[in-house]
Amino acid sequence: MNSKRIFAMVLRHLYVWPKSPERFMWTFGWPLFGLILWGLTISFLQNNSSSSFSFVTFIIGGIIFWEMVVQPQREISINFIEEMWNKNFLNIFSSPLTNGEYLTALVIIGIFKMLATIVTLTVGAILLYQFNIFSTFGFFIPILFINLLLFGMVLGFVVNALILRFGWSIQEMAWAIVAIIQPLSCVLYPLASLPSWTQRISLMLPSTYVFEEMRRVMSSGVVDIKNIMISFLMNVVYLFLSLVFFKIMFEQARIHGRLVKLS
Amino acid sequence: MNVLQVKNLTKKFGRFTAVNDVSFSLKEGEILGLLGPNGAGKTTTIDMLLGLIKPTAGSISIFGQPFEENRSEILKQMNFSAAYVNLPWRLKVWENLYTFARLYEVDDFPQKVDRLLSEFKIKDLKDRMTDSLSSGQLTRLYLCKAFVNDPRLLLLDEPTAFLDPDVADLTRKYIVDKVKRTKSSVLFTSHNMAEITEICDRVIFLNRGKIIAHDTPAGLAKKIKFCRVRLLFTADKKKINPFLKEYEYNFSWHDQELVVELKEENVGQLLGRLSLARLKYSQITIEKPTLEDFFLEVIRSKNE
Repeated sequence: MNSKRIFAMVLRHLYVWPKSPERFMWTFGWPLFGLILWGLTISFLQNNSSSSFSFVTFIIGGIIFWEMVVQPQREISINFIEEMWNKNFLNIFSSPLTNGEYLTALVIIGIFKMLATIVTLTVGAILLYQFNIFSTFGFFIPILFINLLLFGMVLGFVVNALILRFGWSIQEMAWAIVAIIQPLSCVLYPLASLPSWTQRISLMLPSTYVFEEMRRVMSSGVVDIKNIMISFLMNVVYLFLSLVFFKIMFEQARIHGRLVKLS
Repeated sequence: MNVLQVKNLTKKFGRFTAVNDVSFSLKEGEILGLLGPNGAGKTTTIDMLLGLIKPTAGSISIFGQPFEENRSEILKQMNFSAAYVNLPWRLKVWENLYTFARLYEVDDFPQKVDRLLSEFKIKDLKDRMTDSLSSGQLTRLYLCKAFVNDPRLLLLDEPTAFLDPDVADLTRKYIVDKVKRTKSSVLFTSHNMAEITEICDRVIFLNRGKIIAHDTPAGLAKKIKFCRVRLLFTADKKKINPFLKEYEYNFSWHDQELVVELKEENVGQLLGRLSLARLKYSQITIEKPTLEDFFLEVIRSKNE
């Protein structure tokens, strides 16, 4: 791993950021709109309900923590696709940059933008709903954060591998994959509210355990460390498999000439 | 010393063989031209040399080391530019060049980038967005990127395709000068035969994935035994055509100019016969065969 080359790729994507209004929307605008829309909707329902249970904080917590999956995945996949759009793919992969360095750079950009989103949403939640994730979750934040980040990385690497295999036709997955995974991850509702056959699928996702524990912290102030460990071990296995999948697809793309056609 | 050594390189895509058992070498300080019609396997060969396509068989050795096992170390000393590859269009010119200078671990790159921009006469574009450049300016930017690490081996796939004649000339001179000064080596493809003739020390001619000729540009042209004699007549064509048909000459007319294609040793005989037949011409040009004639001859004979 060469840190200079990783830094070069991180800077290359950071140079683009201020010049791309849509990137600002992805990092700040759309997550904030989601927070406002869902928060106001649930507040309205809460105010017209006789239940004393605080739905708002559950939903807001889910929205903020879900961005810890969305932002890394999107940055890993869209920055990869951007090299295709720019016809810069061959310049990148004919340079001394290794695949490991390239993916590391994408992860760093993903973490950077995810932190920017989380700070924005945290401030928004405090101002709009008097909900502070730091006072609510405290020391549990890093445990939940690391698991969601790893899962976002897994999804990003899988999408990139699929793009290497199927080309332009599958680039929509860069946006769609989190939309497919979100309902199964039980971000906004408990696992028990899903049909039993769907619960079996949900339990195969590391994110499900994190959101279950997020709700446990909010309701009882503790986490079940066993669930966190299951999530972490799943993430480690999935991360390994996603990297192997990416490597195989990259080599297959070189063998079949698809890498050249992507540019 | 050989900078590049390619042995029995083959690439098959399913049943289609794009490159078929190709072997060649490139010496230090040499410019080697890869020539051939569309689909000959030139770009596939270059892509294999860059590690973008994995060969089906054969070996590539660069700077004396096997390429596949030493990819990153070797690529640090190489660079590449092609007409079909762009740079990120939402970056400024300097941002693009700084990015690649960092990727190739170039020391003192701000000064290096400034010098290259000056040499390619685009220093005033340094702060411009890449998407605002014309195709000629973009090509010069791509060449700056290709030279940013002072590569020992440079692969250029039709680098002058979108350049004005004067800038293309500047680029060719720059490449030749650079090779002389730094003893770097260049593998060069182009559809411009005059360009290949001007700058390449040797030419490899590919057709349908195979090397069918390998020589200096002049050596390849010499393989064509025919030359072209251009004669300007004031007399009526009708008086001259029977004479040409009698001796079965291969000829064509362009207004009053007669073009006869014949073996070089038969030129004297043609002129003698014209004199005997009292057919007077006002101007004569004898054209020696060029690399383009060789190219056309090979393509025609292979297609027949």
